[in-house]
Amino acid sequence: MDISKLNSILKKVEKPTRYTGGELNMRVKPLETEDGRRRFRFALCFPDVYEIGMSHLGSRIIYNVLNERDDTYCERSFAPWFDMEQALRENRIPIYSLETKTPLADFDIIGFSLLYEMCYTNILTMLELAGIPKRSRERGENDPLIIAGGPCVCNPEPVADIMDAFVFGDGEEVMNELMDVYAECRRRGLDKRATLLELSRIKGIYVPAFYEPCCKNGVFASLKKLEEQAPDRIERRIVKDLDHAAYTGKLVVPYMSIVHDRVALEVFRGCTRGCRFCQAGFIYRPIREREPDTIIKQADESLDCTGYDEISVFSLSSGDYSHIHELVPIILDRYEKDRVSVSLPSLRIDSFLKDDLEKIQKVRKTGLTFAPEAGTQRLRDVINKGVSEEDLLRSVHDAFVAGWHGVKLYFMLGLPTETDDDVLGIAELARKVSREFYSMPKELRGKGLRCTVSASTFVPKPFTPFQWEPQIEVSEVLRRQALLRNALKGIRGVEFSCHFSETSRLEAAFARGDRRLGEVLISAYEHGARLDSWDEHFNKEAWELAFSENGLTCEQFANRRIGEDEPLPWAHMDAVVEQRYLLNEYKKAYNAETTRDCRKGCNGCFGARCREFCGRTEAL
Amino acid sequence: MRLAVVFTKEAPVRFVSHLDVQRLFQRAFRRAKLPLAYSQGFNPHPLVAFATALSVGSTSCGEYLDVTLTEDMAPEEFIERVGPELPEGVRIVEAFDISYSRKSLTSAMRSAKYSARAEFDKAPGEDAIRNAVSELLSSEIVVMKRTKGGIKPVDIRPMLISFELVKAEADTAVFAICGVLSAEGGLNPDTLLNVLFEKLGVTGTTDVSRLETVLDREALA
Repeated sequence: MDISKLNSILKKVEKPTRYTGGELNMRVKPLETEDGRRRFRFALCFPDVYEIGMSHLGSRIIYNVLNERDDTYCERSFAPWFDMEQALRENRIPIYSLETKTPLADFDIIGFSLLYEMCYTNILTMLELAGIPKRSRERGENDPLIIAGGPCVCNPEPVADIMDAFVFGDGEEVMNELMDVYAECRRRGLDKRATLLELSRIKGIYVPAFYEPCCKNGVFASLKKLEEQAPDRIERRIVKDLDHAAYTGKLVVPYMSIVHDRVALEVFRGCTRGCRFCQAGFIYRPIREREPDTIIKQADESLDCTGYDEISVFSLSSGDYSHIHELVPIILDRYEKDRVSVSLPSLRIDSFLKDDLEKIQKVRKTGLTFAPEAGTQRLRDVINKGVSEEDLLRSVHDAFVAGWHGVKLYFMLGLPTETDDDVLGIAELARKVSREFYSMPKELRGKGLRCTVSASTFVPKPFTPFQWEPQIEVSEVLRRQALLRNALKGIRGVEFSCHFSETSRLEAAFARGDRRLGEVLISAYEHGARLDSWDEHFNKEAWELAFSENGLTCEQFANRRIGEDEPLPWAHMDAVVEQRYLLNEYKKAYNAETTRDCRKGCNGCFGARCREFCGRTEAL
Repeated sequence: MRLAVVFTKEAPVRFVSHLDVQRLFQRAFRRAKLPLAYSQGFNPHPLVAFATALSVGSTSCGEYLDVTLTEDMAPEEFIERVGPELPEGVRIVEAFDISYSRKSLTSAMRSAKYSARAEFDKAPGEDAIRNAVSELLSSEIVVMKRTKGGIKPVDIRPMLISFELVKAEADTAVFAICGVLSAEGGLNPDTLLNVLFEKLGVTGTTDVSRLETVLDREALA
């Protein structure tokens, strides 16, 4: 790497520390082990910019897990922003790892974290800047092995032609198994295909080249196995004992501000609520908790080695943690003298946290966010959100009494069965929140209410009870947004923000799409689509061109209702939650029938495998 | 007590912005478990102040900050505790007690010395460079500067204390520059070099390193 050339371009780009590395706690390892063996080089790639990627807890756990291995050196690389991409191209500098500034093509394995569908074009940017062919079949024996993990692996098909292998589920254990098998394959001198066959024997690893999808009448029909020895279904990996599982270890501390710039303490994984739109609620089951002692030990270590002054209690629903009322006061007391503030994101409205809120406020006020998701009780029952208007009003009341005057309320538009009454119900709810604030005596409440109503567009996702549902048409999304915006006008202290609908539609297509979308993705990239999750850079024309060139439409994937008996493009991925269970939930949704929290008793979502994976047949 | 600290910002951290340098020190102080004094108010923050900012991409051998502690600590102990917590490229050169002072370091700042390396796209020749430097020194140096009231012509010559050509090779040259640097403003060496480039009719890149920030320590009292 020509460092002086790199320096001259870093002088010109925005936020150069995205590309410099050298942060505190960055792992530095010689390229050979002490006994002189070459370490396997693993490039952990995040297909979005640095400040997003460094905020992802999972990647940071994997970074630690891989670097704990003596035979492996794991380095990081992130998607470049537009200016840097252009500068790298103009100067013919290949994309490199932050740790040693090694071009990605020189690595043994490149692993991408796939967190959301809208990052897929960034994978192609990174491969192209690395000089690595984009399609798995175009790569030879000397190219790195390209793998991917993360929640998008639920339906890997849209990127199946790009990747050599996928890791499905929790990565903490499977990454070690993968490296062990890889090391053995290298020792035996196996070629790429033979290596992939060995990897496919590991539970949770999917090698897409061993399968071929077939379409009939323009829809996915079946998946044919091309390699006899490959598994029929790929079972999601589940770390059974989270309390003893690997965590982030010595956290790398970025120089620049990142999105989640604090110590994140994962208190549990999974969620027992069963909100029917929520993919995370199903694909991270069963619930696995960490002991408070373990969490505090990890907090101590993380604060000591980073100097951060903020901790966030991290999970899908922090208020549901069994020991939350024990843990929050302990953390607050323990670090108060060090002026460490605590944030509790992902709080549910129905968790009673008044006392905790007052304590949190003692250190520093952080924002409060509530997610009622839908405007009426009927629709909240359809989605099994299980919170009531009273819950919300009581929670905001508590928050206002405790001195907060800023709250964010999250909603979704386009949920199954939604009517205009449900949309207007959102405004009604906001009006009641506003009234709750202004009906308090002036001396008891904060200065002025800042209530942000945020409405995203519902995206049906695999492994949810709504996986068969269509997304509503773009014109309809826009109409409902306008309806809501209008209804919110004039409500004191309330602001409205909503998500761009084109990207939501594309997200819906890629979430439930099949392998044909791989070529659409590559065409879109070639027509200039980049960093698609950044609305202001969303290149609508590139995507339209890409779909039409491939004889497909975005609507046929996003806006189509999938028949209950139709084969699903992701049916070979076994998320352990039973299809039968999801279908039953789907039917209950249409009857606005709720399902209890599985902490209150097992609902049988794993079918015959409940005992093996969850074992929670009794209420907690 | 209040300590003044002289530190370096070398190549590995040259692209770290001023704001991020501030955070870098705050975190290092926290890791070193210093008895930091905090401001009062809604969002208390540690009492750490920097004399001046350094532009992103530049390196320096002499930057100043001051930090207030709730307990007394010998400057040597301070260096011993904080030193190991700093990233590669940031070193503490000196620390001294300024508890007697309530003035900001910025108010005592007078000038700064720089070493600047220029890389030309085509070699202008040593004599041409030398002539251009002495011409610049002997007249007004008017540059267009963006101010609140729009873009205006400003003479930067009064900000320039000395300007010398140290070494010239084919397409590179090294200069020693000394310029005013105070609370009211100062010389930007990159601006000066751009004028020089224009005068020479060449383009190229510059690499500026601050060698020293000159503080009038007596002015702190």
